[in-house]
Amino acid sequence: MAGKKLEFVERCMNVLNDHKGQSQPTLLLVDDSIDVHRLIKARFRNSEMTLISAHGGREGIKMAKEHLPTLILLDLDMPEVDGLEVLRTLREDLTTRNIPVIVLSGLVSTQDKVTAFDLDAYDYVTKPFDLVELRARIRAALKTQRLLTMLTERARLDGLTGLWNRAYFDERLAEEISGAVRHGRALSVVMLDLDHFKSVNDSFGHPAGDAVLERFASIIKAQCRKTDIACRYGGEEFSLIMPDTGPEDAKAVLDRVRTALEQIRWPMHPERNVTVSIGVAGCTQCRGDVSAKDWVHVADKNLYKAKESGRNRVVISEVDSDGEPKLAAAG
Amino acid sequence: MSQTPDHSSTPIHSEFASDPDMIELVDLFVSELPDRIDQMTQAFESQQFTDLKRLMHQLRGASGGYGFPTIGISAGFVESLLSESTDLSAQVEDIDSQLQELISLCRRASSS
Repeated sequence: MAGKKLEFVERCMNVLNDHKGQSQPTLLLVDDSIDVHRLIKARFRNSEMTLISAHGGREGIKMAKEHLPTLILLDLDMPEVDGLEVLRTLREDLTTRNIPVIVLSGLVSTQDKVTAFDLDAYDYVTKPFDLVELRARIRAALKTQRLLTMLTERARLDGLTGLWNRAYFDERLAEEISGAVRHGRALSVVMLDLDHFKSVNDSFGHPAGDAVLERFASIIKAQCRKTDIACRYGGEEFSLIMPDTGPEDAKAVLDRVRTALEQIRWPMHPERNVTVSIGVAGCTQCRGDVSAKDWVHVADKNLYKAKESGRNRVVISEVDSDGEPKLAAAG
Repeated sequence: MSQTPDHSSTPIHSEFASDPDMIELVDLFVSELPDRIDQMTQAFESQQFTDLKRLMHQLRGASGGYGFPTIGISAGFVESLLSESTDLSAQVEDIDSQLQELISLCRRASSS
């Protein structure tokens, strides 16, 4: 259990640090005043943050999209593209939508403040500002952002296994399908169901059942690539999205998963091994219009065939072929 | 044009004069003040009020950061005069006297 918790924390930390792979927060300052750049640079010289600068609205938008900073300090009153327009543009873009923005402004009208907050500004600081206070506000914004990221991440993880949950699977599946179709790439979607799992719970108790679920999750993680998306679909059902992987290649990986599980001698029930049935829907060069629901349906159908034909096997089929699913040899 | 005499020639020191992070920047700011004075005088004399307003806006925002809040407040007065009225030519005298006050403050700013 401790190991799993550690792993969970580690995963959260990875997500946090994964913000463009940098552990040091990056601060983007967008302001047309050279003085503000100088002052902030001087005050942040010894801080744990990397400061990058844009001297106008247009440059600010460009740099935000390019560098995906951890936080943006944004002046409102700039010639050409002003701060509110920058904020609006950032909010329309999926990649920059959630970057917290602290507005720095000499404009003090209530309407400007209201507009900025309506555009999800995190904070509003009027010029002239106290740099020590600004630093404290930045620290507070970064802390809140970190917690938000962790909560969002947590809502997408399965508590027992540390795999992604069903909601995240649904979210990613549509994205991965459209990505694969757009680029004519391979993709496999996999449904995995532990055989006779209920009887493990019934005969040996729920702790034994949980141990099987956790161990199976770790087998999946060990056998799959980092780019594969492994989920606990619900109960004893698991699912996998394997980008850039055709059904034949998926089968090779999944047979290793299947064999590894089958060979385990369980401390709580050494006389009873556990097996898994697996259904795969895949394509080697994806095209055409097959919905996420249909992908899952084909994978489910293959899973059913695997169960019907004796369990402990992998059944694959091309998702957009009309042919009958191929029955793979049992292991 | 009226020439407001300096009421005082006492130097004004930056609040951050002894802050090691800031010494260099304060020096830089003070050394650039004569340029700023030239720019604002020029903008005022050629009645480029938009330019003047921008200069005031920047000075108001920045001075406090360099440890010269009085300069910032004074620039803020000029800026608000320039923002208030649509007929600025009627306000030229007021603007001028505020501007001269600001300029005299800028001349008193000292880095040491």
